[in-house]
Amino acid sequence: MGPGGVGHSRLTAHDATTKGDGMGELDGKVALVTGGTRGIGRAIADAFVREGCKGVVINGRSPEKGAQALREMNAGDRVHFISANVKERADVEMLVAETVKKYGRIDILVNNAGGGENHAPVAQLTDEAMQDALLWNFWSTFWGMRASLQHMLPQQHGRIINISSVEGKHGKPGVSIYVAAKHAINGLTKSCAQEVGTQGITVNCICPGAIETDIMKEAGPQAAEAMGLTYQGLLDWFAEEAAIKRLNTVEEVAAVAVLLASDLGGGITGSMISVDGGTAAF
Amino acid sequence: MGKLDGKVAAITGSTRSIGRGIAEAYLKEGAKVIINGRSQEKGEIALREMGGGPNVAFWQGDAMDQAKVEGIVDFAVERYGKLDIMVLNSGGVVNSAPVAMMTDEEWNLEITWNLNHVFWGMRKALQHMIPRESGRVIAISSVEGKNGKPGIPGYNATKHAVCGLVKSASKEVGTLGITVNAILPGLIITDIVNETGPATATMMGLPSFEAMIEMFAKESAIKRPNTVEEVGAAAVLLASDVAAGITGCMFPVDGGTLPY
Repeated sequence: MGPGGVGHSRLTAHDATTKGDGMGELDGKVALVTGGTRGIGRAIADAFVREGCKGVVINGRSPEKGAQALREMNAGDRVHFISANVKERADVEMLVAETVKKYGRIDILVNNAGGGENHAPVAQLTDEAMQDALLWNFWSTFWGMRASLQHMLPQQHGRIINISSVEGKHGKPGVSIYVAAKHAINGLTKSCAQEVGTQGITVNCICPGAIETDIMKEAGPQAAEAMGLTYQGLLDWFAEEAAIKRLNTVEEVAAVAVLLASDLGGGITGSMISVDGGTAAF
Repeated sequence: MGKLDGKVAAITGSTRSIGRGIAEAYLKEGAKVIINGRSQEKGEIALREMGGGPNVAFWQGDAMDQAKVEGIVDFAVERYGKLDIMVLNSGGVVNSAPVAMMTDEEWNLEITWNLNHVFWGMRKALQHMIPRESGRVIAISSVEGKNGKPGIPGYNATKHAVCGLVKSASKEVGTLGITVNAILPGLIITDIVNETGPATATMMGLPSFEAMIEMFAKESAIKRPNTVEEVGAAAVLLASDVAAGITGCMFPVDGGTLPY
């Protein structure tokens, strides 16, 4: 562990206050968390602020939700919201550029934005649904990684954390657009980790189990329908597959993101870390 | 304000190296810690060096001795009133050899040390944790728990077996507030590896200890061995309250060696 010793300040995931007292795991770091206004991304952004990041950029499509997130996070100039759509390359590249402009550098990129719409079994799947899911999950991740690496390679330091899914390892019927996109993210991560492994940059995936975030509540019912289930049936299926027989939480994912982003995470790269309550056996 | 305030942890094989790194990280995060090793003398040195006062205690015992392994749990309860976190870390090889030359004695020793010890410690810890509906069991496997290298078949077999044991146990206690995980470190140049590495390198058919280090480093993305502190940080995360949703996980700390 780094300096700090006994009494090293740690706040729980539920503590609303911010630290910035020079005792965090991420003191002075700058992070970009895509889709950080709500759900998993927001929990990661909260944790990063708490662990001492000097700047955390979050984005979303809705300025209203961005403003609300900033109010709730109450971290002053240490959090910055940018309205952007990660399905657009120019927007993703702008997010990276604006992060560097605002805070002087980018140390941590969390590619968290993602999801799926218009799910259907492959036999009935439209090109549009597949293309949309790939843009939302896969291309956005690639664009963010490529743009961030332009800054991380010269500074010989960086942490890229891609939020994949237990469905990046498994496959459920009816949601192939999501499963395929998340598997692709895992492959991209493994390859890139090998490319930059000696340059102080780690590239990892976190593979969470199902979490009932706002996005899940919004998109889950249609996905469930494509799977031939009710929404509750979908949630129950995920819980039943897990050893813990419940869904995961955003705080559980955020804790792993902090470890991967920290200096001591420097020896972990190319990993597909499961935060799935014992669902995937690998 | 630590992540493990009020927790009690026991770590087998922890007077030096990875186990010691985990013990120090736990102490820093506010836990009370039982360390363990065969040598009373090394135990006392570790206690002095750690400087944890009443928050660290040493349990003398060989990880190949069932009564000693199980005794750690009783000792934790006696000393600190409970056991929240059991880390089964001890392990290694003595006279490893390719399968064709492997002796029954070495094979049995490795099974006892690397696998039986983990089972004994896990079973005893779970018997304490299940009624309390709370606990964290962490087994230190290895990147070799998913890989295979020539000349260390017993190590590979037992570390794979530990992963299987962890996956099964995690399902058994998943709804009881208890998580069971494995950490799979890459090669780390610890005191123990410095001592046993040259012989292991020979058994692997390599010209030198340095060649063995080089081989492991080359397989990784970071092109260097890992560190005990990196494993310590992962062990803190898995032991913490917020990790309640991580179980049955094969948590890699291998610098990108095996990307799954």
